[in-house]
Amino acid sequence: MGELFRRIQYLINRRRLDSELQNDMEFHREMAARAGQNNFGNSLRLREQAYEAWGWSWLDQLAQDLSYAVRILIGAPGFTLMAVLVLAIGIGVNVSAFSLFDMIALKPLPVPEADRIVRLERRSPTDYTSEMAYPSFVFYREHARTISAAMAVLGVPPMHLDEDMQPTSASFVTPNYFKELGTQAAYGRLFDPTRDAASNAAPTVVLSYGVWQRRFGSDPRVVGRVIHLNGKPVTVIGVTPFALASLGGQRPDLWLPIAEQPDLIDHSTVLTDRSNSSVRMWGRLAPGVSAKAAEEELRSLTDQLRHEHPEAVWKGEFIQISPGGHLQVMQPQMYRVAGLVGVLTLLILVVSCANVGGLMLARAVARQHEIGIRIAIGAGRWRLFRQLSTESLLLGALGSVAALGLSCAVLKLALDKMDVPKWLSARPDWRVLLFTMGMTVAATLFFGLLPAFQIARQRQQKALARQILVAAQIAASSVLLIVAALLVRATQHALFTDPGFGYEQLISIDPGLGHHGYNATSARNYLNEMQSRLATLPSVKAVSLVKLPPLGHIVANSTVEVRGRKITAYPNWVAPNFFATMGMPLRLGRTFNPGEKRAVIVSESFARLQWPGENPLGQTLGDGTDKSTVIGVVGDAHMNALSDDDAVEQYWEAQPEDMPDMVLIVRSAGEPGSISAQAKSIAPNLDKSVFPEIRQLKLLYRENVAQIENIAAIVSLVGLAAVSIAAIGLVGLVAFIITQRTKEIAIRMALGARPTAVLSAVLRQFQWPLAVGLIAGSVFAAFGSKGLRVALYGVNNLDPASYAAGLVLLVLIAAMSMLLPAARALRLNIASILHHD
Amino acid sequence: MPMVDMPDPLSPAGALPMLILRILQSGPLHGYALAQRIHLLSSEVLAVEEGFLYPTLQKLLRKGWVEAEWGISETNRKVRFCRQTPRGKTQLKHELSSYGRITQAIQEVLRTA
Repeated sequence: MGELFRRIQYLINRRRLDSELQNDMEFHREMAARAGQNNFGNSLRLREQAYEAWGWSWLDQLAQDLSYAVRILIGAPGFTLMAVLVLAIGIGVNVSAFSLFDMIALKPLPVPEADRIVRLERRSPTDYTSEMAYPSFVFYREHARTISAAMAVLGVPPMHLDEDMQPTSASFVTPNYFKELGTQAAYGRLFDPTRDAASNAAPTVVLSYGVWQRRFGSDPRVVGRVIHLNGKPVTVIGVTPFALASLGGQRPDLWLPIAEQPDLIDHSTVLTDRSNSSVRMWGRLAPGVSAKAAEEELRSLTDQLRHEHPEAVWKGEFIQISPGGHLQVMQPQMYRVAGLVGVLTLLILVVSCANVGGLMLARAVARQHEIGIRIAIGAGRWRLFRQLSTESLLLGALGSVAALGLSCAVLKLALDKMDVPKWLSARPDWRVLLFTMGMTVAATLFFGLLPAFQIARQRQQKALARQILVAAQIAASSVLLIVAALLVRATQHALFTDPGFGYEQLISIDPGLGHHGYNATSARNYLNEMQSRLATLPSVKAVSLVKLPPLGHIVANSTVEVRGRKITAYPNWVAPNFFATMGMPLRLGRTFNPGEKRAVIVSESFARLQWPGENPLGQTLGDGTDKSTVIGVVGDAHMNALSDDDAVEQYWEAQPEDMPDMVLIVRSAGEPGSISAQAKSIAPNLDKSVFPEIRQLKLLYRENVAQIENIAAIVSLVGLAAVSIAAIGLVGLVAFIITQRTKEIAIRMALGARPTAVLSAVLRQFQWPLAVGLIAGSVFAAFGSKGLRVALYGVNNLDPASYAAGLVLLVLIAAMSMLLPAARALRLNIASILHHD
Repeated sequence: MPMVDMPDPLSPAGALPMLILRILQSGPLHGYALAQRIHLLSSEVLAVEEGFLYPTLQKLLRKGWVEAEWGISETNRKVRFCRQTPRGKTQLKHELSSYGRITQAIQEVLRTA
């Protein structure tokens, strides 16, 4: 420690100490001369050696290298600008992608101790749900000592605010929600556990900043006003802040205390029903407690709960704890998607680095003179290599600074356009900066090492290195273009292919009877009445019932293993006329008879997979008490997994106990729009307190497809950027080669060679890199795109049309970038070239 | 030739730090006097070149075994003197003992082999 201190002292006082040493040596020289010895060595050299003893030589060399690198880069502005731009794009794309991932999964919510917030979900070896029953929530809250605070969030269908046509989104929360998150009200006050916990308190509501601006005109006097939700009066007590940080990224317009839920939604049994999983549970770990310890305590509590109330707990159930202090609670498949995106962005980095590497190799030829001199004067290979690496590092640093700026700007644009929680900002945090630095080092290694080796060794193998770089760029670009082509095809497919059910003319009407306290019989009556009234409407062709509506809020699936393959199966419970109403063809067998139990109808794909070559009718599914017999086969209809062509469906008949959860499906003869309004007017006549959610499937479908359109557009953009970089690199490279071989070309043409012969002589060296690059790219794309299948809307991930399109486009662009400069060469003035020597 | 670490303490080159520290034990000296002293005391067998002396002195300064102070030479000129520090004293003890051990071991082998 003391040594370091002395060394730093030396560094600071260098000049003075060096002159003192010089003084000492002069004295020594004098004394030696007096004694007759005149062989005191070179004082400067000796001082250098003395300086080296302090171990700071590397600093000096670094400063030298840097200043030299700066001069070199400034002296070649075209090269520097080009290289920095290309690096900025390559690194920038990666930084942007990581920033997005950081915002979603890594950045903690801006609330106190966000790392202690956890999400609790029910899990068992066979089942999984992200919600639990409210009484179970209360049970865990009272008994768990490892969870210091527990919050519940209950999502409900949008509610009717005063006399608005459109319903407003709302969410019920426990009164400690805002307190735990440390939220400060923008106006008025937020929920308080002491005042808003009792169910007999006056009904209160908190407005979100957005709805306060839009609907209430930013009027501060709204606090204290009474508004009506679903016809019931509630008092506005406050407004949430603009940059509200909520759990799970939810942004409802209205916040309500959970105790009020039965008052606002008539006959709701959510708060007392033990078997109905409806609230999302979050908690805060007690100080010093690990998630594992909490999970163990919860495990024993779950067993205790099973003893007291067996209907509330599954067999083998346990509570799973995941970190909850981020924008999104990550599921395993989300990590897979992130990995896929990461690979794609790395590809454009490969193109950038290979490109810059090629640029540096080209410059190496121009710098041979300079480097030759340096070697002749006595520069060691290692010193030379270090200096060239410093140049590359400087270039990399410039590129990444530009990349940060670029990605910041792009993210800001994206965040403004999309509807995201307002506490997110495009400013890079330490994670993003660290990532950028890591990327810079990786990129510099990739593009800087190879040329530096080449240059320092002065070997003439540049042609091979160049070819490798070209091949790498072609390969990476081809993967990006192929993936982009696949996604574009998927978009086309989604828009113009029948998903198996006629979504254009369907409306789903969800009365949410289960939340309103309807039992099986009353629900059946309501639904029957609703169906008959709807059937009388002129434009209604058919009405049916389904438990999990197409493109609905709730999705249920299970992974089954069929002959060694894992496939995702989507179960559903429907009325007998469901398939006719949906326009789904019945391929084999028949539909359900009324009240039929233990009968299942499967989709074609499932029948094909499970019983290949056999007659699926009469086969059994499931075991023990769950056994069902196949009575029919329908066409595929991926109602809740539109993009996943590998999904299969299974349908059972809706039983009486399912009635409170059923949703109406209406098929219209023409445009479905008019039916929505008519259905809305029918509902109050049946039950004033029920406000069904009416959705047009056409619009939902478009939304779903819009997502993949956006993704396809982004990937296409990145792919085209990569190809442009590669193409520009090729243009430069070919022009460079031609300049080098101008004389040879002129001689050939003077001797009568045909233009094509000359061109092929010059460009022949590219045929192997092109071929290898295309093949490598295709193979990589073929293997990598397996993970994309689930998002391709039925397009095969080996779809030949997409591969052909991507590769042909690439070949065209490559050919153009090679032929253009070459063609210019053919118009050379031969005479002047041959004379010029 | 850049010097980072000393060669082994048995060769005269590697023993230089030990020699310097020993000589400085009786009082501070400047560079020329050190070289003279070593030359004289070794009966003119060892002649320290300035190209080796000064970098060694720098190393001793860096390690804190020696510190520099200003003084007046015999010729009335201001020059820096090197003085042994307490840490240098400890280091000298270590080096002497390890040197003694190795020398003894070598002599034993030569004697009894």
